[in-house]
Amino acid sequence: MDNIRHTRPLAEGFWTVSDGGLSLLGHRCASCGEVFFPRRKHSHCPHCFRQTLEEINLGPEGCIVSFSIVMIAPAGEFYRGPVPYAYGCVDFPVGVRIKGLMARDDLDTLDVGITVTLTVETLYVSDEGMHVETFVFKPQKNAERKSDEAAKPHA
Amino acid sequence: MSIRERHQVIKEVGFTGIPIVNVENACSSSGSAFRLAYQSIAAEIYDKVLVLGVEVMPRGPIPSTAFRPWELASGFNVQPANYGNLTVRYMKSSGATLEDLALVTIKNRKNGMLNPKARFQKPVTLEEVMQSKIIATPLRLLHCCPLADGAAALILCSRRKVKNRRRAVNVAASTLTSACYGEGYLDLVDSLTYPPAEGFVSLSARQAYEETGCGPSDIHIVQAYDTVSPSELWDLEELGFCAHGEAHRLLRQGYFDLSGELPVNTDGGLMSRGHPLGATSGGQLCEIIMQLRGEAGARQVEGVKVGLAHSMGAGPNSSVTILKT
Ligand SMILES: [Zn+2]
Repeated sequence: MDNIRHTRPLAEGFWTVSDGGLSLLGHRCASCGEVFFPRRKHSHCPHCFRQTLEEINLGPEGCIVSFSIVMIAPAGEFYRGPVPYAYGCVDFPVGVRIKGLMARDDLDTLDVGITVTLTVETLYVSDEGMHVETFVFKPQKNAERKSDEAAKPHA
Repeated sequence: MSIRERHQVIKEVGFTGIPIVNVENACSSSGSAFRLAYQSIAAEIYDKVLVLGVEVMPRGPIPSTAFRPWELASGFNVQPANYGNLTVRYMKSSGATLEDLALVTIKNRKNGMLNPKARFQKPVTLEEVMQSKIIATPLRLLHCCPLADGAAALILCSRRKVKNRRRAVNVAASTLTSACYGEGYLDLVDSLTYPPAEGFVSLSARQAYEETGCGPSDIHIVQAYDTVSPSELWDLEELGFCAHGEAHRLLRQGYFDLSGELPVNTDGGLMSRGHPLGATSGGQLCEIIMQLRGEAGARQVEGVKVGLAHSMGAGPNSSVTILKT
């Protein structure tokens, strides 16, 4: 019997584990400072068009700016995870907004303005028994609104 | 629809050797085709061009292919959820409530009662909207437009070849834009460092106003893009009809009603007609034309001389057309 849990990432090179822990991987343009996630396939920056992209760690936490809890299965059978599920946008202090899935057990605690931590979860188990993993955003325990800015109507 | 199916539609009419071009631009397809027809007539290449929007929709949610494989596997292709994300932000920044969003559906379904070609011709109540099934928070079923099969056809003609000038309508502007750098919309995520000074919807509207020399205050009726009810509100703001956060207040005052100062989606909009992607913007234009000709029957608005239609969607694309008597 093979008791080893076989895993593979949903996509290569989205996150890294180093001394500082789990972090998303991105690109930063040394010329204009624009930050990208995921890393770009091509060497040019789509903002300033210079070939000055550098790999950076985007860090382990950010702040939710929007989310939606999805109650229906997506069309096309591309998605094999649980329903309901949630995804949204999270702002990382390094200066990038990232769209990602929210941790599956924390849908009730989601709110705009709360801090979330990066974690890796099994999205689904493939027909071959492979645990397909992806990065998700998990609300911190006793998550408090860091900023009420987003909750206020614009002046 | 596939190319073969589109040619099939003309095959039924009869082939003539006239070129047929299939235009695929998601929800702006027939608006984009209309613009190409307009340009080829303006360039004096052709005198008469038929624009035909046709769509037979799959049942259930639309499997948008605007997403990368990992995004599809992550379930990011649920458009109500993508609009749900935009709605959360819009509600925070505008002060619009879920009830305000429901009022868009209620207004449009009320207009749809007067449109014999609408898929839905029955009104809905606030309770029905607010208690309909949640699709993707904060949006419920009746905040989302229904799917529908559909078709719309328009004939564009050069000024010198027009035979019936009384019923002819003038194309004052036809614009098309794609996303501006750093803009977040559906599959696109905003840039925090370089957000655009002007979004692609505002840009398409501004170009249309510049082309006609008129402004939002000169428009008598609007066909706005109500794929979800909040999108009609932010659309009206981005098209320049009111300031950000104003649309829901004006809606409550009846400003956008059939009898209001600026009637919006006089045919019931996508909420009543449904959303046959390739035919959607053609359908919007047909409504403006019927209103300009005074042929809109029970939903006719008095004294319509200028109308604006806006559609947008995956790509993203935004197309604005202004028609005049
Ligand atoms: Zn750059």
